[in-house]
Amino acid sequence: MSNSSSPALRVVNLAKTFGGARALKAISLEIAPGEIHGLVGENGSGKSTFVKILSGYHSPEPGGVIEVGGNELSFGKPADSHAAGLRFVHQDLGLIDDLNCAENLALGRGFDTAFGRRIRWRSEHEAARRALAALGYEIDVRRPIGRLSVSERTAIAVARAVSDHGGRTHVIVLDEPTVNLPKAEIQRLFRLLRLIRDRGVALIFISHHLEEIFELADRVTVLRDGEVVVSRSVTELNHDSLIELMLGRALRAVRSDARAAAGAPVLTASGVCGQVVQDVDLTVHAGEVVGVAGITGSGRDELARLIAGSAPFAGRVAIDGEPLRSNRPDLFIRAGVVGVPAERTVNAALPDHSVRENLTISHLAPYSSFGLLRRSAERTDVRTLLEKFDIRPARPEQPIDSLSGGNQQKVMIARAMRLGPKVLVLDEPMQGVDVGAQAELHRLVRASVENGLGVLACSSSSEELSEIADRVLIMRSGRVVDELTAPLAADDISAATLAKQKETT
Amino acid sequence: MSTTDTAATSEATRVTGRDSAGPTKRSGRIIPRLGLDRFSGLYVLAALIIAYGIWLPDTFLTSQTARSVADGQAIAAIVALALVVPLAAGVFDLSVAATLGFSVCLVAWLQGHHVNAILSVLTAVAAGIVIGAVNSLVIIVLRVNSFIGTLGMGSLLAAGSYWITDGQTLIKGFSPDLLKAGRAQPAGIPVTVWYLVGIALVLWFVLEYTPVGRYFYAVGANPQASRLAGLRVDRLVARSLILAGFLSALGGAILAAKLGLGSPDVGPPYLLPAFSAAFLGATQIKSGRVNVLGTLVAVYLLGVGVKGLQLAGAPSYVGDLFNGAALIIAVALAARTSRK
Repeated sequence: MSNSSSPALRVVNLAKTFGGARALKAISLEIAPGEIHGLVGENGSGKSTFVKILSGYHSPEPGGVIEVGGNELSFGKPADSHAAGLRFVHQDLGLIDDLNCAENLALGRGFDTAFGRRIRWRSEHEAARRALAALGYEIDVRRPIGRLSVSERTAIAVARAVSDHGGRTHVIVLDEPTVNLPKAEIQRLFRLLRLIRDRGVALIFISHHLEEIFELADRVTVLRDGEVVVSRSVTELNHDSLIELMLGRALRAVRSDARAAAGAPVLTASGVCGQVVQDVDLTVHAGEVVGVAGITGSGRDELARLIAGSAPFAGRVAIDGEPLRSNRPDLFIRAGVVGVPAERTVNAALPDHSVRENLTISHLAPYSSFGLLRRSAERTDVRTLLEKFDIRPARPEQPIDSLSGGNQQKVMIARAMRLGPKVLVLDEPMQGVDVGAQAELHRLVRASVENGLGVLACSSSSEELSEIADRVLIMRSGRVVDELTAPLAADDISAATLAKQKETT
Repeated sequence: MSTTDTAATSEATRVTGRDSAGPTKRSGRIIPRLGLDRFSGLYVLAALIIAYGIWLPDTFLTSQTARSVADGQAIAAIVALALVVPLAAGVFDLSVAATLGFSVCLVAWLQGHHVNAILSVLTAVAAGIVIGAVNSLVIIVLRVNSFIGTLGMGSLLAAGSYWITDGQTLIKGFSPDLLKAGRAQPAGIPVTVWYLVGIALVLWFVLEYTPVGRYFYAVGANPQASRLAGLRVDRLVARSLILAGFLSALGGAILAAKLGLGSPDVGPPYLLPAFSAAFLGATQIKSGRVNVLGTLVAVYLLGVGVKGLQLAGAPSYVGDLFNGAALIIAVALAARTSRK
């Protein structure tokens, strides 16, 4: 099999072109066993293409070589990649919510069966419990996964990747595993990942949060425009130099601290209750960004849905004094309250539709005369939007699915901004958006805010809130319990969301 | 009806396999783009006509054959077009053929009771609209899956057709005006083809060049995203089903006028060809979406294929064979295109 001196993963001259666009330009990379290797880069830098080649989803161009534990990998088959010892924990974890933990762990390798193909449930459950206990988690393995917390589910996905079924595990690729995790749980995941590293497994850790890279990774590789810019120990880098390497330029300061005072109140909510949200009052003024922070389960995400009109609520939400009917996004939009929902692929993108169709779907009236759609007018408008929001590639007829995550999110924000809203309700606006594009989007939103737009931004990222918000509402257990005002520091926001837990423990 | 705006799901999308993600190797280069080109249907149609022309020069290459294929497929095409609308909006309508059949029986019964031609047709079309509205209620308000709901409706309508006709073939009392409206040949082309051209033109225009057409496709692609983008998803789904009921019943009235009879056996055989044509059509012209022009290409591709084989002496079941195979192949092709 493998000899111990060979790297866990060696990649030479890996290249990939999609219809004329070079997604990867002959990248080479080496990762030692027992190393946590950070992989960073803007959206479209080639990260996901690289991961998809490793997983056997794409085949690289001839000349590329992948060696796992010293053995060369044949391309283009997920099963081969698995047999060679490559494991993947994707952002969505790839678990099945209705099945329990033991069943999920057994997926892909098959069950332990007795006579007559009867599943030995007891031994399955025991094996699952032991596998998780070895990673420091105590989970009821009989509960459906859907009822476990995100961090428990992440642990199960990692446990499945570590299990040696179908060949020794050499490398685990973790694609943004921290995206949905509250801060405290991230630390727990990191402990787990270090434990696995100490067993001699190499980990590739992908994250947009650079501080996580510095905390966890031993070495880091920066991809830019499909090339390896640098691959070195994290101790030789700092936050700013890493961003410069990713962007190829220094990051501009996004916000000027001198802000115009907020204008008149535009949106007022009083006594709003949803499933988790209890009796929330809030006001959004023209020309201000109100942030909402809170850990998972605090009602932060539900509040975004309620105020955007996409979920039923009790209480009153009014724009310019006019109350709005709950659970009617169309009426909210008409009144000038436009939401950009979280989880773009589920809640916002129209698959198999062009960028143009995705941009204009909310409001076709400007292009329609006597019931007829004038596509030329639509296209002109779309081109302007593509340019204004720096959406790449700037081709109106490009299918939305072929854009990178960051550019798709820009399309969704452009869709909302195009309507000229009075209030914009953002839910996790920077999900899967890279640092450079984030700054760009923040700048665009800011520009409209200066022209009188009110924004309610719900985000799990304290860094983001500290950047864009003028004040931040802190939610715990469905209620707004605190409000922080400028100057905002990310640490203060995080601390405020966790305050109660700290008191009790 | 505001609380259940998400009732409709894109079941139809799922069947075409367009949702099937996952690590599938791109097989495009092993089997070259066979059948995936968006005009491939037209090439195959041309090839079929040439091949049959060489094989059966005396029987196939005649104006009579051309007329008979055009005429024979016109009703099937109208039913397929009726189906395209709800499929675009992401819901199934398995009751289109039964609606057609019910409409045929209703027209025949009304004619038998000396109701004038125009009133008979209007009544049948109104019944189609009611059927579409009931389908909408079942799917949106009662939250029954559209596949199941319209399957049940199809059976109810079959029962209704038997009830109206008492299981007999009604041929009495057809007004000469109505028969003329179904059998004339303006400019040497069967009038049913003219009706088809008219319906197809209007529907093509609605789906491609009006906001509501765009909305239908958006709802079919992602109902949740459409709702959050401000579309009235339930209302759009209801409209698509009502439009399907209307078009099916209109097709039924035309068919009654053409046949000059009404029988409960007339409608049901139209169901499978409609699905074959709509799904095969989704691989054509506007690849990846059910669409009007693609559906027309598919209907006539299937019609010509079957007709040639029949003229060459193939047994009568060749039609079922052809349509069944086309349905499966079309959905498989759609699934492949989507993974590219």
